[in-house]
Amino acid sequence: MNDDRVIFDNVSRFYGEVLGVNRVTLNIAPGITSLVGPNGSGKTTLMNLMAGLVHPSRGSISVLGIRPTEPHKLFGVLGYSTQFDSFPRGMTGFEFVCSFLSLYGFSSAQSKKLADESIGRVRLGEAANRKIAGYSKGMRQRIRLAQSIAHDPRVLVLDEPLNGLDPLVRAETLSLFRQYAAQGRHVFVSSHILHEVDVISDRVILLNSGYVMAEGSIQGVRGELQDLPTQVLVRCDRPTDLASKVFAQNLVVEARILTDRSGLVIKTNEPDRLYRAINHAVMEGLEVLSVAPVDDDVNSVYGYLIGSEGSTR
Amino acid sequence: MNTAHTRGLTTVLAVTRLTLRKTFFARRSLWVYLLAFAPLFLFTAHTFLAPRDETRLTKIAAENRVSSKALASIRLGARIEDVVNKLGEPYQRHDRQRRIEGGPGNDGKLIDRATLRYTDGKLDVAFRFTDRVLDSVNRKSPGTLADDTLIFATVFQLYFLRLAVFFGCVGIFTNLFRGEMLDKSLHFFLLTPMRRETLLLGKFLSGLIATIVIFTLSAALQYLVVLARYDRAAVTEFMAAQGWSHLRDYAGVTALACVAYGSVFLGAGLFFKNPIIPAAVVLVWEAANVFVPITLKKLGIIYYLQSLCPVVATPDIDMPAILKLLISDAPPVSAFGALLSLGTITVLLILAACFRARQLEINYGTD
Repeated sequence: MNDDRVIFDNVSRFYGEVLGVNRVTLNIAPGITSLVGPNGSGKTTLMNLMAGLVHPSRGSISVLGIRPTEPHKLFGVLGYSTQFDSFPRGMTGFEFVCSFLSLYGFSSAQSKKLADESIGRVRLGEAANRKIAGYSKGMRQRIRLAQSIAHDPRVLVLDEPLNGLDPLVRAETLSLFRQYAAQGRHVFVSSHILHEVDVISDRVILLNSGYVMAEGSIQGVRGELQDLPTQVLVRCDRPTDLASKVFAQNLVVEARILTDRSGLVIKTNEPDRLYRAINHAVMEGLEVLSVAPVDDDVNSVYGYLIGSEGSTR
Repeated sequence: MNTAHTRGLTTVLAVTRLTLRKTFFARRSLWVYLLAFAPLFLFTAHTFLAPRDETRLTKIAAENRVSSKALASIRLGARIEDVVNKLGEPYQRHDRQRRIEGGPGNDGKLIDRATLRYTDGKLDVAFRFTDRVLDSVNRKSPGTLADDTLIFATVFQLYFLRLAVFFGCVGIFTNLFRGEMLDKSLHFFLLTPMRRETLLLGKFLSGLIATIVIFTLSAALQYLVVLARYDRAAVTEFMAAQGWSHLRDYAGVTALACVAYGSVFLGAGLFFKNPIIPAAVVLVWEAANVFVPITLKKLGIIYYLQSLCPVVATPDIDMPAILKLLISDAPPVSAFGALLSLGTITVLLILAACFRARQLEINYGTD
């Protein structure tokens, strides 16, 4: 059954020539799913795609069996707290939550009741009747969270929800996410720091430069990262010959000759054997100017995401 | 009406309610009020000043009266001596000399200018001479009820519809979506369970309420202020004969202008990042409407609006040539035809806007 799942089927999104996300295929069960990656990795794009705020250039998305192009159905089950730190002018926190609830078809009395409840859940009751313009960053974060949970959604999408929260509120907020997940709902949380969310996550999706680098439980993701291929840039005079040679030895996942034919990029799972093969080719007369890992991206990104606590490499 | 329709209507009204306060009271709407109520200030000033003018002219006419026929017989090109011979001494004369640049240095040509003022008790006529030859005539009248309603009709068509309502709609309707994108608050609407079309209709309705209230109120007040200085019995008679129906027509045309221009600029706000460019294009097209063949006239909104106006604005003989050009001499289309055409234009534009709204993405960074 796909009616309780969030599904991305080969989804790509380009902003002109800039890549948002590329060929994302995910099938996500209820629970807490953390989207982790550095700035610009595609976390927000993925969330915006899920909510229909941007449309995929390719592929399709389904949230509990509903397409994001059907907002009248989708937002009955989905709540989204975006990263945009802006609000309609002149409103108090209570007015903000309450007035947008009126667009859900709730009566005035129901809207007020739900607004009160959700504001209480994020511990903002005392500030509810103050203008949002006077709120601190953490309070603005919480009022957005209150607005996204007010209609009791089955899918909660939260873009960097822990930004600006003090440790106590952060702990309360994480506890709120756990409660939601325990009720069989989806909670999507984005963060650029893995250890901030890995303790509560049932599932982690690691993103970098628009690609899903790894997906699964936190233990599985650590293992998957170590199995990813390494890219090596070789600058040499006869890149085609070198490509044939390394392909013949079955060392290569992918090889790409540079457009100016000054070298090639080789993707390999066995970097040590590849380096030995390149040395051998040099002894046979190949003129090599340089050999270097392209970006060492898996290692560097993983190290960046995990921080000093979790490095396994 | 089934539940889905009721729900849709409730949501449209909820969007309208949420947007309305912003539409009426946004700081960027201030100039819309100025545009709308500027003619009201002018007509109010006229209402207060005209009786004083009447008294003044009556007083002057008692001592220096010339006949209306004699005044009308003076033609451009007449010499100052001939005018004085024909009309007698003016009640006011003003002579001066002016040097016109004739080339390098201080050498220039001296020209004589003179203004002679006469009155027949109703009109205050100023004859202006250059080198003793009549080159312009300015007729000013405190006016009659018929004159003033004609002036109102002219101001309504030349200024109110073409500029005030037009730019008012630019200001209000382009901001319904574009303004929220600039404020980065549009996504709150897009994250609620409603079709994009419902959002669009709700916002359009809020724009319509704001513009119709502001502009029809202004038009109605202008009309009533124009009549305010006349005798109550004459006004009652005029209103019973044609005044109320004219007032209703002006209010209706104003509301239709808001609907039609509103749909244009609602679409412009959705299709263009800078709606000023399409607004300028539409302004030029509407202004050019008087010059183009009748087939092309029908592609302009102003043609249908002018067809529905109860009084045909006629060019005054002293009206500047550029303004005379703006008065359409095309045969008006029937009221039914005008309504049908404006309705069709509006529906097509709203459908296009709905199509665009469905594709709308939130990407504040590039907006």
